[in-house]
Amino acid sequence: MLSNLARETRFLAKDRGALFWLALALTLSVIAVSFGVAEVREQRSTIATLTKEDAADRQNALKTQEDWGGAAYYALHFTYAPPSDFAFAAMGQRDSSPWKHRIKMLALEGQIHEADTRNADFGLVGRFDFAFLAACVAPLLLILLLYDLRASERTARRHDLLVATAGSSSRLWFPRAFVRVAALALLLLIPLWIAAIMQGTSFVITAQASMILVGALLVWWVITELISRIDALPSILLTSMIGVWLALAILMPAISKAAIDANNPVPDGGEILLLQRETVNDAWDLPKDDTMLPFAALYPELSDHVQIDEGFEWKWYYAFQQMGDEKASPLSQQYRGARLARDRQAGLVSYLSPASFVERGFERLAGTDAASMIAYEDNVRNFHAGLRAFHYPLMFPEVPYDAALLNDLPIYDPNPSSHDPSP
Amino acid sequence: MTSPLEARSLSLIREGNDVLDGVSFTVAQGEIFALLGGNGAGKSSTLLTFLGFLEPSDGDVLVHGENVGSDIAAARSAIAYLPEAASLYGHMTAYENLDYFLDLAGKSAGRSDIDAALDRVALPDEARTRRLQSYSKGMRQKTAIALALLRETPILLLDEPTSGLDPVAIDEFHDLVTALAKGGQTILMVTHDVYGACQVADRIGLLRGGQLVGSFTAENGERIDTETVHAAFAQRQSA
Repeated sequence: MLSNLARETRFLAKDRGALFWLALALTLSVIAVSFGVAEVREQRSTIATLTKEDAADRQNALKTQEDWGGAAYYALHFTYAPPSDFAFAAMGQRDSSPWKHRIKMLALEGQIHEADTRNADFGLVGRFDFAFLAACVAPLLLILLLYDLRASERTARRHDLLVATAGSSSRLWFPRAFVRVAALALLLLIPLWIAAIMQGTSFVITAQASMILVGALLVWWVITELISRIDALPSILLTSMIGVWLALAILMPAISKAAIDANNPVPDGGEILLLQRETVNDAWDLPKDDTMLPFAALYPELSDHVQIDEGFEWKWYYAFQQMGDEKASPLSQQYRGARLARDRQAGLVSYLSPASFVERGFERLAGTDAASMIAYEDNVRNFHAGLRAFHYPLMFPEVPYDAALLNDLPIYDPNPSSHDPSP
Repeated sequence: MTSPLEARSLSLIREGNDVLDGVSFTVAQGEIFALLGGNGAGKSSTLLTFLGFLEPSDGDVLVHGENVGSDIAAARSAIAYLPEAASLYGHMTAYENLDYFLDLAGKSAGRSDIDAALDRVALPDEARTRRLQSYSKGMRQKTAIALALLRETPILLLDEPTSGLDPVAIDEFHDLVTALAKGGQTILMVTHDVYGACQVADRIGLLRGGQLVGSFTAENGERIDTETVHAAFAQRQSA
């Protein structure tokens, strides 16, 4: 077997057409990985800059405050999902879901969803990252390398001589195709491996990503092998293979996405924002008890401190902010649940499309899948709940303002112990 | 003693047409047997059944007494096949082509062996390191013949081997084939070249419409008479 592989490797080294496609694969891989590394570097730089400025801004804002309400109102908190050390390979949902916010202790849901429409253009066209290369472009390159292995030999009237000389097809076609598939996989993976080392990606994740790519190439190899056995002209075989690629890599994901989306309607982020803001705005005109009594039901431990005597009191203000969140909560939960349901169903359908399977696999490893972005939103909610838990016991019982206590303000932790979103 | 090549009541149907119909013959070791026939007579199909590319619809093809279908790889390993207008790789030199095909056959040959084979087919030295895409049809055919020589198989199947060769090269090829047969190689060639077949073959089978309709044998060290075969060939073709 090794001598067969060595022979076909030497043969490949003289095949200019195949070498062109392999060189293109290497070039595209370098480009895709470089784009990803640059984007991650940019995002990390943004996070570093904003983190540094965030603390300074908050310090400045808090310096001039004289009560708990003002301190909570003017203090902004930078929250973010840092790109993982494998995010360079698959930017995934980071292109269409917000991964950073500046949070106030006001109603939260609106703050989370007001950035939903950012990067909508990426949602349409996608990004040329390694995941896209592996999912959609690599199969095309593989098809171009393999589609006419047999047919070109038939056309050149060399097929029978080759097979008769080899004795059996397996001594010829398998090593010839294997060398091409292996070369393609290697040339795609080498830039990924180099970037993974530079980015500090764990060996396990790099190995898993490599296996996903190799597995997908093997699936496409089987597909091209089955089609190439048809005794037809190379052009017909190529057309057939491109047709299968179009069906599996483009049409099936698009059709299944449309079907899944229709089956799992997701409320628009703007609807959540609007409902929460309307609730907050309406509260200004409502009797204060309409806000404070439901609030007291949520926080029985504060029920002795919900009497509002003045025309405006911060605790009333924050109470109706919270009630805005409570009102928007079912819609927000529906939004979250439907996104997870879509993601689950897309995961099942991806077994029918190697391209979708690869893209999802890379996004999962990179922490840029839908579940990861929802986990980030949940992390923001938890942090925001921590802000409320810090401020309410000071604000509602009207503890005398002491700026020194603000040193214990919760600090946003981008890497909580568990990223698994609870249903 | 079993014959290196034998067809027993060989019939072949392709796409509903009778390509071969009850063809029987044997080729003894060291013998040159030429199947002569016009276009569509079933000559090349006969060769392809011995190589296992076509499966007989009836009858048997045997290589060294073993049915080809029972072990195609074994049959192929005993045979060097020279297809009509053998197309080796144009982007490789003669040396590279021979290296590749010999490796494919599981054989290795040193540069001196390869040069010796190329000398036997009279391929010029200067051409050996050139890519085959710059070769004439005859030079490509010579390279393919050199491959058949280097494989040193006991059986040689030749499909229109002199097609595209100039008269001098044809004579050289006939001499080469004769020498190979004298060395013990069994040769089955198919051709529509009556003159060439008579020049080189020990026996000639006349194939028409998939049936073996005539047979001619060289006797007493004489060549088969061209006029006789040509007359039979022309008669059969017009029949």
